[in-house]
Amino acid sequence: MSGDASSAIEQQVRNLIYKGCLLLDQNDFKGWLDLCAPEFHYTISAYSPEIRREMTWLDHDHEGMSSLIHMLPKHNSDLTPLTRHASVYTIEHDPAAKEARVVTSVTIFSTSLDGGASELYAVGRYHDTVDLAGPAPRLKRRVVRLETRSLGIGKHWPL
Amino acid sequence: MTRNAVEWERKPPLPTTHYVHPAIYTDEAIFGEEQEKIWSKVWYLACHESELPEANDFRTYRHPAGKNLLVARGEDGKMRTFYNVCPHRGNTIVYTPAGNARHITCIFHSWAFNTKGDCIEITREKQGYGDRLNKKDYSLREVRTEVGFGGFVYVNLDDNAGPLAEFVGRALDGMLKCLEAEPLEVFHYHQAVVSTNYKFWHDTNSEFYHDYMHYHNRQTSMLQPSYWEREYVPFPNGHAQVGDQVVKYEAYEGFKGRTLSFPGLEQNGWKMVDLFPAFTYNLRGSALRIDTVLPLGPTKTIIEYRGLGLKRDTSEERGQRIRDYNSIWGPFGRNLHEDLMGVMGQGRAIGRGQTYLLHGREEQNKIHDEIGMRHFYAEWSRRMGRPASDPYATAGAAS
Repeated sequence: MSGDASSAIEQQVRNLIYKGCLLLDQNDFKGWLDLCAPEFHYTISAYSPEIRREMTWLDHDHEGMSSLIHMLPKHNSDLTPLTRHASVYTIEHDPAAKEARVVTSVTIFSTSLDGGASELYAVGRYHDTVDLAGPAPRLKRRVVRLETRSLGIGKHWPL
Repeated sequence: MTRNAVEWERKPPLPTTHYVHPAIYTDEAIFGEEQEKIWSKVWYLACHESELPEANDFRTYRHPAGKNLLVARGEDGKMRTFYNVCPHRGNTIVYTPAGNARHITCIFHSWAFNTKGDCIEITREKQGYGDRLNKKDYSLREVRTEVGFGGFVYVNLDDNAGPLAEFVGRALDGMLKCLEAEPLEVFHYHQAVVSTNYKFWHDTNSEFYHDYMHYHNRQTSMLQPSYWEREYVPFPNGHAQVGDQVVKYEAYEGFKGRTLSFPGLEQNGWKMVDLFPAFTYNLRGSALRIDTVLPLGPTKTIIEYRGLGLKRDTSEERGQRIRDYNSIWGPFGRNLHEDLMGVMGQGRAIGRGQTYLLHGREEQNKIHDEIGMRHFYAEWSRRMGRPASDPYATAGAAS
């Protein structure tokens, strides 16, 4: 593949990741899920030094995420908005598999509705597999690997 | 019709056992008394034995009475708990939450201890101390430790306390066969730090009237006829058992019934016991959840959440238990976030207009009866030497 073509793919992948962050910031979870392939799988994980084990805190396929998002209005949820700052670290393009593996650093801030004070909510990384087989890149797999394990009262939303 | 200041602060027209004074959630002096009269005297759950599976494993623990502890499994397999304090110059000995060490060495001056608590090394002992001091007299301070009720490590700071079985009594009898048929194993641990009083959290675990807050529970439990037959059973020492129920998980869109269970637990069954002063065994379908608290002050609390399955789980079974647990109780679960919103809200209102808090629902001890809270505060009042409805023992309005 030519350098130009490779660069173009990388740019498309970056755009996908960043567009996803913008949609999540806007709480447009359905719009974000539209960026995902039908075989999408979403996981939030962390390592616990306390019990010395890997933990999985959320784990859903596309249907499960769709259901989670659909049911959000039924629940009582803290509405404090989150803002993501993401920086794509590495993109490994696998032309044979027509996918790319992406590691993105993400820092998430919360800003109180009452007063507008911002504070750090979580740090971690997105470990993504992006499907390049279609007309536009789509998320095939995301593992949100959290370093932060103390998340206050938690959230109902995907990070 | 709204109320003016006098009316707002008037005591409710209920027995004094049916309301509490808001100061029990806010007063620094009362918090200090709780540490002395309650937390320093009771058996409390520090961790699970599966967190220290190997000889010389250790786990640190911040005790609610304000002591930093170190739980260690000795080479003899026995669990012991010590103050995590070096007897030399008072340094914290272990800085990490868990690990393994045959010899535990203080980084400051390299005094070393084994996992039985013996001091095994004082650097340049003879040169510095001669015959005035001997390492055998400078072992760690050990506290009472027992393992039970599902392999949980319990500690008690009171050297003269009765045994653990006496403290728990028969409160866990209803789920004992589930807890002790096979070894259990922790798969989940997280903390929620909330600006609230620890008792607000335990209150939430002690009543089900707040199920209106949970869409998930309204669909899967409240709409089932058996829900209304659940009954609270009080036990001595302030413990209370909630009646069992079979839950209809598939009533919540996107959820399915639990394919796994626990030994002795009906498929999709639910058992729950609230233990004084603030921990809960919550056995729901395929996972056991244990809540414990680490009060940092009257208005700041760490709540610890542990999820457990069976030690013999296959990776598929463990994966299913983890998904089931976290779908409801994880940091992104359907219910836990809502429960924490509730106690966070109570925390925000602390000292900002709260008046007497009502614990007055009576429904023949059925599920929306508030007997669980009343029973807790009866024990609290006994240990504190005055009623929770009047902690300053003065007549008149809430202050």
